[in-house]
Amino acid sequence: MDKILEIGAYSAGFVGRLFVQNGHEVTRIESARPPAWASAEAMTAFLHAGKERIQAGPKNFAALASAADIVILEASSADHAASFGFDQWTTPIKVVISPFGLTGPKRNWRATPHTLLAMGGYTQIMGDAGRAPLSLPGHYVEFQAAQFAFTAANACRFSNESKLIDVSMYESLLALSQFTTVMWSCAGRVRSRHGSDFYWVVPSNLFRCADGWVYINTVPTFWDAVTLFLELPELAIDPRFSDNDLRMQHRDALHQLISKALISATKREIRERATAARIPAGVVQTFGEVLADEHLAQRNYWQEVTALDEKNLTSPSLGFQINNRARKPLALQHVVSHEHNSNE
Amino acid sequence: MSSVAAINGPLSGIRILDLTHVWAGPLATRIFSDLGAEVIKVERALGRGTKVASAEPIAGWLGGEPGEEPWNNNAAFVKLARNAQSIALDLKLPRGKELFLELVAKADVVIENFSARAMPSMQLGWEAMKKHNPRLIYITMPGYGTNGPYKDWVAFGPTVEPMTGLSQMLGYNESEPRNTAMALMDPIAGTTATTALLTALREREETGLGAFVEMSLHEAGTVFSGPWLIDYQLGGELKPYGNAHPQMAPHGVYQCQSRGLEDDADWVAIACENKADWCNLLRLLDADFDPDWGLDDRQHHSIEIDLAITAWTLQFDKHEAAERLQGVGVPAGPVATAPDMLAEAQAVERDFFVPLERFATPVPGNPIRMQGSSSKDWSPCPSLGAQSQQILQTWLGYTASETMGFLASGIIAEAPPD
Repeated sequence: MDKILEIGAYSAGFVGRLFVQNGHEVTRIESARPPAWASAEAMTAFLHAGKERIQAGPKNFAALASAADIVILEASSADHAASFGFDQWTTPIKVVISPFGLTGPKRNWRATPHTLLAMGGYTQIMGDAGRAPLSLPGHYVEFQAAQFAFTAANACRFSNESKLIDVSMYESLLALSQFTTVMWSCAGRVRSRHGSDFYWVVPSNLFRCADGWVYINTVPTFWDAVTLFLELPELAIDPRFSDNDLRMQHRDALHQLISKALISATKREIRERATAARIPAGVVQTFGEVLADEHLAQRNYWQEVTALDEKNLTSPSLGFQINNRARKPLALQHVVSHEHNSNE
Repeated sequence: MSSVAAINGPLSGIRILDLTHVWAGPLATRIFSDLGAEVIKVERALGRGTKVASAEPIAGWLGGEPGEEPWNNNAAFVKLARNAQSIALDLKLPRGKELFLELVAKADVVIENFSARAMPSMQLGWEAMKKHNPRLIYITMPGYGTNGPYKDWVAFGPTVEPMTGLSQMLGYNESEPRNTAMALMDPIAGTTATTALLTALREREETGLGAFVEMSLHEAGTVFSGPWLIDYQLGGELKPYGNAHPQMAPHGVYQCQSRGLEDDADWVAIACENKADWCNLLRLLDADFDPDWGLDDRQHHSIEIDLAITAWTLQFDKHEAAERLQGVGVPAGPVATAPDMLAEAQAVERDFFVPLERFATPVPGNPIRMQGSSSKDWSPCPSLGAQSQQILQTWLGYTASETMGFLASGIIAEAPPD
């Protein structure tokens, strides 16, 4: 079991969460929270259950770090990171997560997930043509940087190496930018926005149904099955739609036919038809529906988190499972003063 | 035959048999290989396409043309396969399956992202493999996992995404939800797989035993909705905010002066995290707003504020607008296209894009920067089956004559069939 010292906001918090979920001992130094996409109570319950949470002044950081195997430090810029004096800490593995990394001309640029998503190529391709691009809500940026940080720290523990690791949120996005840059380099095409339509594979879009929305993603091999799913078998021999290039040419006509075919079906009916036809279709689930999802329940996906007021909350556990081990419940701990703790 | 030099990294010495395809799985194995693991792509002879080029691949061809070996020229594939070696092995032939299981006995990891039924139907599931190697870590990444009511659902990233709850938050408003249309669950699953493998490898150090690691796109993606799922239970207000933010204002994407390009990318993203940012923003705007406005006031006046910001941003192109905003300390960034991303000074200075593939095609690097590791020892994507014979010789001790025999009988391949 490793001892982890966690300093920072939602990215460091997510790294710490991964360590806790995998049985390590995490001490989190509490600090001011930047704005979030959920309430402070929800962010805390999701990220910090199972951690020791302390208040400590900067003068204590080096001593706390020296007792840890791994320090995760999330900073708002390279200079902010340096202000902690982490280069003097004796911890074997130090991971610094920052918006742009510790070097480079923009190392001290101000950033939020929203501005990083724009620079990382995500915002340009989300939303509708002719309208403002859409920024991705949530904490994808911080959590993805955290997954890289966790991987890097564990890789160094695995090889028994002492390292300073620099993880840039911006570069995390660039590394995960699908085929955006190679499409430009190789085909000379700049990606743009097509709403929910995955433009190059038709039909792949979000369609309204009787009680919500459904996404269909039809790679060419699924086309015949999709016509059965839609209960429009005649489309399989319609010359307008006989291959993907033609379906791209006649996209609007095809979308109208699909909209008409699905508008009176419920999400449940659509799921049943998709399962029978073996085509990729997913319905838009509300958070209430996700929490009540029979599949996730049967797979024992959820984890119970006990909040400070003893309220039991249902939280996602890990995104993976090793040897089908059960997910253990966790409890949120009260924040304690480090000095008080030390005196005890 | 071609050989691949070892990569210096903390996973040096770890052997991975990689049966993954499309995005999530290959992304994970690319990260492993960047960290020094020896990644062997176990491919079908037709896995990269036919010998004769058909339709242009989604991201085009390396060099812009299919070339003499179009199957080796698919840009989207190449981007995810650096540092790997390739064996084209027919797992449907009994001898091909035997060879694969011999490789399994020498490997540390097998990773695949087929449907839940695919590997067991070939008698190559975890139960079969662990008999050949009790220290093996087997990672399976089906869309909805290997059990439960949805286990046989056909899954791609874009269809899993709405099942995670994200679509309740992503959209212009409540009546206009949107899908990212970029298969967002795939990069989440890819990085989640790397966290899973490192966890399993470290556990093996303690137990000496291999492990069955299951990772569904659905569950990996739902983790990222975690804060909202808890907020829902606490009575939080959860809805699409467009480009606004529940705890920041102003927060949006604003039109800029045209650069004369037809890319619909003349936009800048701006976010004010707090009152200090708001006051700094006011230094640029020609508007008479109250610097003491708190978050509620700024959200209440968002329409007037956004109009004033747009009046200012339209005077500058997106790069200059972002520079000016940063100059007064306001978080901002231009909405980047691919050419912008490749030319971005920060990426250039840190050599993020690596031009190691043919035609000096730049591909994204790895965001994990650590002392002693760099992209200098990386190698380009291998040709299909480039190491088919070499791997059987070096891992399993077959002779050149024997591997030539496997090649002649179609058990292994170095190109797609005619």
